[in-house]
Amino acid sequence: MGKISFYLAMLAGKTASALLKLLGRNASYLPGKVALTICKDFMGRLTLPKTVICVTGTNGKTTVSNLLTGMLRKCGYTVTNNSLGSNVQAGVCTALLDDATFGGTIRKDVAVLEIDERSSLLIYPYIHPTYLICNNIMRDSIKRNAHTDFITFLLNKAIPADTRLILNADDIICAHLAPQCQDRTYFGISADAPESDALPFLRDIVYCPKCGALLKAHYARYNHIGRLYCPDCSYQTPEPDFVVSRIDEEANTFTVTCGEKAYDFALINRNITNLYNFCGAITVLSLFGLSYEQLRDAFAGAKIVRSRFDEITVGDHKLTVILAKGQNPIACSSVIRYAAGCPGEGKNLLISLDDIGDNHNNSENVSWVFDTDYTPLADDSIAKVIFIGKRCHDYYLRALMAGVPEDRLYALETWQQGVDEIDLSVCKNVYLLYDPYRGAEERQIQNCLVSRMKGDAEK
Amino acid sequence: MKIEVLFSEVCNLSGDFQNVEYLRQSLPEADFIFTSLMDIPYFAENRPDMVLMGTMTEAVQRRVIEILQPYRDRLEKLIDDGVVFLMTGNACEVFVRHIDYVTEKLSVDGLGLFDLTAKTDLFHRYNGKFLGDIDGIPVVGFRSQFSFLYGDNSGGFVGKNRRSIGINPQTDLEGIRRKNFFGTNLQGPILPLNPLFCEHLMALAGVREPHAAHREAAMTAYEQRLREFRDPKVKF
Repeated sequence: MGKISFYLAMLAGKTASALLKLLGRNASYLPGKVALTICKDFMGRLTLPKTVICVTGTNGKTTVSNLLTGMLRKCGYTVTNNSLGSNVQAGVCTALLDDATFGGTIRKDVAVLEIDERSSLLIYPYIHPTYLICNNIMRDSIKRNAHTDFITFLLNKAIPADTRLILNADDIICAHLAPQCQDRTYFGISADAPESDALPFLRDIVYCPKCGALLKAHYARYNHIGRLYCPDCSYQTPEPDFVVSRIDEEANTFTVTCGEKAYDFALINRNITNLYNFCGAITVLSLFGLSYEQLRDAFAGAKIVRSRFDEITVGDHKLTVILAKGQNPIACSSVIRYAAGCPGEGKNLLISLDDIGDNHNNSENVSWVFDTDYTPLADDSIAKVIFIGKRCHDYYLRALMAGVPEDRLYALETWQQGVDEIDLSVCKNVYLLYDPYRGAEERQIQNCLVSRMKGDAEK
Repeated sequence: MKIEVLFSEVCNLSGDFQNVEYLRQSLPEADFIFTSLMDIPYFAENRPDMVLMGTMTEAVQRRVIEILQPYRDRLEKLIDDGVVFLMTGNACEVFVRHIDYVTEKLSVDGLGLFDLTAKTDLFHRYNGKFLGDIDGIPVVGFRSQFSFLYGDNSGGFVGKNRRSIGINPQTDLEGIRRKNFFGTNLQGPILPLNPLFCEHLMALAGVREPHAAHREAAMTAYEQRLREFRDPKVKF
């Protein structure tokens, strides 16, 4: 019976996928859903590639998955992955189904799968990771992910004990994930020039989960990221095995040290959160067996996918487009901090973070807006902060509460109004921060701004 | 004016800390006392005018109960004395008889100041909204929780939810109330989202002419949300 339902599920899933593609529709979720409805353990019955790399954690999953997939392909490996679709159970199933033969074999060298933490209990019983990388565990959507204790509880329950873990040493929650797994490798960024030893007030771990004492920091970066320790017991962030030991902004390189050896890589993006993504991906592929030369060459050609970060220069204007996951206060805080800290004067920030689904015949829960740090927007290099969308008045209020001067704040309901507010004759640096589900709007804004910049350049 | 903020370093899961920030900006002269899990609460020996506590994890909730247990009678006296308490999210559960943590298979006694119980189930998250009047003031808010309260709160509730559930799916009466104690499942920044309610709380705490910070901007956002919540097309 099991075999029959598996083949039926395969047939139905593949048919659904073909039909959706024929209709020009997104086929990244439904085919898997169909297959799983017919055969619950469908994924467990597939013959997966010998190496399965799973990527999980709050922030950076997509960037790391894309890096891993791109670098492996560049080195000649065939890869199955879910980069085009969803990272929940049905999305992962769809990706595998697409690459499987009717008999259920995936004839690829490696599977790189981005896995939503919340879906762990539905996926890991069927997909056994060879390597699992977790970049960080932080507060995320309050509606879905509740809090880090909950996410840790799910991951600890779901991750198989013989999985090889690759964990961020600078995230004390992540570093202690899945204690049942003995094979653990840590990556991090060294603290030659630590930003501060004062932890921010709002963070996801304050007290030692072993003895209850107040955790202290040798240094702190953001949220609970840094080198933390308990003064009363042995609980602490571990020493990283792979560490970004040097960043050379002039040469545009960073160095990863592993034991006695040090390797240089091209610095393709300077955001600290991306450096963690880079170091994590390099660690995984180094353990997988790629040589330094392979890693270096593959990484040099890597790019952060344009939909996540893009810089467009037109004449003396620059438009920087950065994806900021709405409903995720830490990711948004990080992007705001990055944009505010970029060089340039008179910057204009266009911020569009409304959740499309939660604002259609609905009213979005804006608790996360108030949990996001807007204080960097008070930086004097910023001339205008333009909030666009239905919830613009909430962002406006929150920014006022964060001390951003009122005369640089704008709350406008449509993107056209927002774009009109930018005076390109005085503003040379525009930043567009947008939610991933607002991709269509982002393209319209981008096109409109670029065309105005071109017009300005021709003048 | 003394305002005590309990355990804000850990009771801040969903923007709750911005209630404190909003009050701080609305009452620049007030003295805010931040009590951490390691401190003896200010209220143990003194009478604050207002006490705030926000949403927390289940593990923190158990630790908070342990810490507050020795002060149970003192808290009861302060509540009966009319001190303003604003307990948001699952902070109000600390004050009920006991909490069953279904997933962890644990049952923990609460402070027992309200004759209700709570049940927490990590595999069932409830997301919802609130639209109702509190002391005649229209209030809007959001809920996102693993737990429900059970028992009869008809003798003291915070507000009747006009469009959805109250402390559990069987009632529309939201929260627990005694005098100026407001224990509500509404999470996060309910004061900046409700400037009129914020002014009401300030008045209850003894402020003569309460004026919410950034009033014009807050009222614009509040009135927009009120319109949306009253719109029958908007899902609850």
